[in-house]
Amino acid sequence: MNGFIAAGIIGISLGAQYALLALGFTLMFGILGVINFAHGAFYVVGGYFTYAAVSWLGLPFPAAVIVAVLLAGALGYVFELVVLEPVIQDYLATLMLTLGFHLILTTAILVIFGPESPHFEFPVSGAIRGEGFYIPYANLIVLAISALAIGAIYLIMHRTDFGRALRALADDRAVAAAQGIHPRRLFPLAFAVATVLAALTGALVTPMLALAPNLGESVLTTSFMIVILGGLGSIGGATIAAFVVGIVEAYSSVYLGGSQGALALFIIVLVILVVRPRGLFGSEFVGH
Amino acid sequence: MRNKYYLAFPVAAAIAVLSLSVASPARAADCELKMGVMGPLSGGAAAWGDAMRLGAEFAAAEANQKGGLKIGADTCHVTVLPYDSKYTVEGAAAGGNYFASQGVNFIIGPVGSPEATGVKPVAERNGQITFNSAYAKDAIGPQWPLAFHQVVGPGTWASPVVAEAKKHFDIKSVVVVAPNDQGGTDIASVDADAYRAQGIEASEEYYQRGTTNFAPIVARMLSKNPDVIDTASSPPADAATMAKQLRQAGFTGPLARLGGPGTAQILNAVGGMKNLGNFYWAEIVPIDDPKVKSLWDDYKKVMGKAAPNNSLFATSVAASRLVLKAISKAGTQKDVNAVRDALRSLPVVDPNLGKGAWTGKETYGIAQEMGFPVGMGMIKDGKNLGVRAIDVTTK
Repeated sequence: MNGFIAAGIIGISLGAQYALLALGFTLMFGILGVINFAHGAFYVVGGYFTYAAVSWLGLPFPAAVIVAVLLAGALGYVFELVVLEPVIQDYLATLMLTLGFHLILTTAILVIFGPESPHFEFPVSGAIRGEGFYIPYANLIVLAISALAIGAIYLIMHRTDFGRALRALADDRAVAAAQGIHPRRLFPLAFAVATVLAALTGALVTPMLALAPNLGESVLTTSFMIVILGGLGSIGGATIAAFVVGIVEAYSSVYLGGSQGALALFIIVLVILVVRPRGLFGSEFVGH
Repeated sequence: MRNKYYLAFPVAAAIAVLSLSVASPARAADCELKMGVMGPLSGGAAAWGDAMRLGAEFAAAEANQKGGLKIGADTCHVTVLPYDSKYTVEGAAAGGNYFASQGVNFIIGPVGSPEATGVKPVAERNGQITFNSAYAKDAIGPQWPLAFHQVVGPGTWASPVVAEAKKHFDIKSVVVVAPNDQGGTDIASVDADAYRAQGIEASEEYYQRGTTNFAPIVARMLSKNPDVIDTASSPPADAATMAKQLRQAGFTGPLARLGGPGTAQILNAVGGMKNLGNFYWAEIVPIDDPKVKSLWDDYKKVMGKAAPNNSLFATSVAASRLVLKAISKAGTQKDVNAVRDALRSLPVVDPNLGKGAWTGKETYGIAQEMGFPVGMGMIKDGKNLGVRAIDVTTK
């Protein structure tokens, strides 16, 4: 029974991390129709920027996280405005450009910081311990921040003019533009928001695990799977899918082992997509 | 109206002039010897690939400092070409063919078992000598006469390391954890057998390479109540995360690493020796030996920067030096079989690693393994007991 509870707690922790990560990816995929291959790289950038702000500038961790995600957001804004926006209608071009940017970012990190993981710890240690299970305080903090971020994104998308404009552009770009909504002003902002979310996840999660230049690839795969499973452009769907993936991964790994656990997860996702090809919650927005 | 390309010619000319002016300075050498170095230069095992690359570059720099390598009547400048084989079979196979297209007949590396599997048949076809550091069960063999091995495998040193660990720690059961590909299974299974041979109950856990959060794997391992958890050949970044999460989960038993080097990263991740507590590991070379240690100082003097904190660097230097010596002895860089014969005939001696022997006959069926003494490191109750040498050169 204790193992069952422990696996459940691990699954919820994983789900919270995945939800935060997938939010940004679903914004890009659902709203802009951009498959952002650099999403994982921004996760790593968030981690390394935070590490640099703590180690080199001596900032306290919360301030370092804020500085890091703002810088990452600025980087994402400029990248979208200068590189992606001119070719935003060309799926292949945006795919290749974001893939190239992923390679540039991860190689730059490798060159600047080296291949070895630096010493980078979450500032809060300790855990709530029970009979056969434990919940690190760091995981609870990430869970809380995930909940806040999900709520904030939902409010932005459904209660602000910015969010309404983005949804209109996603529904029908030509009509929205004719109504006076400027994609060139809004899309870079949307990309920046997505980048901030990826970087925030990296800033919070990498001190709990390890910081290394190569982390972005598996993170991207997970984000992709969650967004497809949840339904393109569905924030609620991505959130629920993140927890589904986290819990399935935890239980299958604990009870079946690392190899069989990964296989079980992919089989379950495959079955769900066969039954519901548009994902658990279809799409609230239709990308152009 | 001016053609929009009117600036192209003067810009191109300027670039060409600048390139020529910052190209390698004019060399006294008559010719060029290209030496390839292959390994993961990105990804979780990049620390190993980087160590391999820097070792080869150092050996080349040593030769060039003396005016070049004497090959027959010529003196050749040694150039090192790196290739990122990404710790994959296909990466290494592509690397072998890339090197062939560049006229490279000698490859230091690759690093890992999947890479060795990929490059060996390609290199045999292309006529290239390789010098891998894989711990695979078939790292070298009589069917690949051009494949050499620069490290002694776990089949040789795992038993003496486990026997020594048993003297210091109360070990009745162990979980050996590694990735679920050849780079993990070949080593973890050998390690587990070494534990079993010492009367220790051993189980193996495998995970998907690319995993970043090991919390579920940690929970699974802890459910078996092991006395020791051995990270075997898990890449350094993975082992570091596992160690961190194991200590966080309350596991206080010794950790071990009977696989490639990675102690520095594990220490970094858990926050030092006090937090790590009890840990034992196999080192490729006895890094506390003053002569071995001096290699890192020599690197800094010659290259002007710090050497990598990874002992694979030392065997890469030794392997590169041997290959260069063999090419010089054979008097040719084109006749690879002559260089192979010269290499086999050379004594395994290195100014830093000391005296070794060509081993591997018993394990692989061919004595083409550069066998130097290995090391066993131990941290006990948060105190570093150092790395002691274990002589395995008789096997």
